[in-house]
Amino acid sequence: MTKTEYLAEYDAIVNTVQLYIDGSRQGKSALMRPAFHPDASFFGYAGDQLALGTKFLFDWIDKNGPAPKIEPRVVSVDILDSIAVVRLEVAGWSGNLAGSGVRMSDLFTLLKMPGGWKIVQKAFHWHA
Amino acid sequence: MPERNIPQKTLESWKQIAAYLDRSERTVRRWEASEGLPVHRREHEKQDTVFAFRHEIEAWSRLRTRCSGTPATEAEGHPHANPSSNTYLLEHDAITRTMHCYIAGARAGDGDLMRPAFHPAATMSGYCQGVEYSGSIEHVFKWVTENGPAPNINPRFARIEIIESIAVVHLEVQRWSGKLAGTNARASDVFTLLKCNGDWKITHKLFHWHDQ
Repeated sequence: MTKTEYLAEYDAIVNTVQLYIDGSRQGKSALMRPAFHPDASFFGYAGDQLALGTKFLFDWIDKNGPAPKIEPRVVSVDILDSIAVVRLEVAGWSGNLAGSGVRMSDLFTLLKMPGGWKIVQKAFHWHA
Repeated sequence: MPERNIPQKTLESWKQIAAYLDRSERTVRRWEASEGLPVHRREHEKQDTVFAFRHEIEAWSRLRTRCSGTPATEAEGHPHANPSSNTYLLEHDAITRTMHCYIAGARAGDGDLMRPAFHPAATMSGYCQGVEYSGSIEHVFKWVTENGPAPNINPRFARIEIIESIAVVHLEVQRWSGKLAGTNARASDVFTLLKCNGDWKITHKLFHWHDQ
């Protein structure tokens, strides 16, 4: 990969993850849905409950509502040809379901499709 | 056993590996095929020769468990099977153990052997020769079984990152072979794992198949 190609891939990946951040901040799953592969999966524990499937995620985002103070940070972006891993730390989660001042660690895996980079899985750890 | 005192860091034959583990050659060959014993090969024109790194054998011996997750016991005669007492090491080793279950299944060409490493709802994604494969992890089990044994695969852990209850593992696998893999193929795999009820399970396998 040349330097220009690398930057283009990097930016495309971060832009896809940004859709997730935008949807989270506004509490609108419609904003983040295009970032996800149709067969994407979603995994993690919210307290003792295993949260499973993107439907759970999208419903949660809509019910949680706006979280205007989230502070997302990209911790790592690793690109291996057609696949990528992004680690995101999000502090300052709030909302109807999140409560306030919650911190979340997210691992996104992405696949490069003909239509661009899509999230194929989001795994999260909710820091209680 | 005097063999343990050999100063060199590699074991240069099945005989030496078997002696080091105090087992028969047949047993250690079986462990390589079914339990991920880390044995390497040097390619030669007529026949490959095997060798093993002592530190890898020791690490494997410490970690060795059945795929069911039952720890190896002292009764099985493993002098290095002392469980780790450090919390980080415990998690790291548990994740490696789960990955070795996957590797053992891949090497043996047995999808059912790797099944315990996965969460029941696990999925997979990736492209192989321009075709997208996405969906249930059952596709992986089926592919591995149809592919048959891949005795020469040579996996390397490129990354193990743990964030409390989740983890990501990047595995580089070279020398894939078999009915579907062809010969000497290379795959980059990214696994996401979740700690469920104390056990690390793979929830997603993302792969990049390096076309030759």
